Amino acid sequence: MSANTEITVLYFAGASTATGLTSERVRLPSSDPLPLSSLSELLVSLHPNNGLEDILRTCQWSVEAEMVEDTEGVMLKGGEEVAVIPPVSGG
Amino acid sequence: MSSASVDARDETELGVAVLTHGPLNVEHIVASVADDGAGATAVFIGTTRNSFKGKVVTKLEYQAYSKLAIKTIADIIADAHASFTPLTPHTHAQSSQRLIRIAVHHRLGTVPVGEPSIVIAVSSPHRKESFVACEMVLEEVKKKVQIWKREYYEGEREDDAEWKANA
Repeated sequence: MSANTEITVLYFAGASTATGLTSERVRLPSSDPLPLSSLSELLVSLHPNNGLEDILRTCQWSVEAEMVEDTEGVMLKGGEEVAVIPPVSGG
Repeated sequence: MSSASVDARDETELGVAVLTHGPLNVEHIVASVADDGAGATAVFIGTTRNSFKGKVVTKLEYQAYSKLAIKTIADIIADAHASFTPLTPHTHAQSSQRLIRIAVHHRLGTVPVGEPSIVIAVSSPHRKESFVACEMVLEEVKKKVQIWKREYYEGEREDDAEWKANA
């Protein structure tokens, strides 16, 4: 398996607390690109029973450090840095 | 500790965005927007409060996705300048400029109660614009920038500390 079939997922705030991780490498389920809209389900399957599903429902996504407006329109091919962006609380 | 939550800086002629684990130096930040053409400097200092809904806050912790947060702050600075620039073509910067420089510094990591977590300084030729822009920038930062605050309360387990949301 080449490393290109993996993505890096960054977790912040409540998403990090729930998973106990700040980042992880996630292997894509097949060699076909994965719609970003399906990533939530994949991450919940990796981290069941810790409230991640409810947290992800409140979150946005960024891919390669750009906020994503339309998750249906983004395909993950592998190699990307994807971040879970919970509601922000700076200031 | 997130390895994505690191010190960062973005500086242009419009101003400067800084994320830092070190204490914020208000005097230094105000000086960074100084200009001989500035008749006004508005400054906002946000400090960490010692209570939330009757609970005693012992410390606060800020985390950022720095790579993205620093771009978001730079965009907010650029948008603030754009919103104060008259929409007439071929204006020369010096004659029409209504804001001069904007500095936004946000602290990361543990911030003891009573210390600044954010400092915004805006300079302009006249007072009105710097007051308005300073508040506008603050509200946009609180709404958009990829920074998260966690509050720790007296008598509670650290694991139960709450991640806040501004919305």
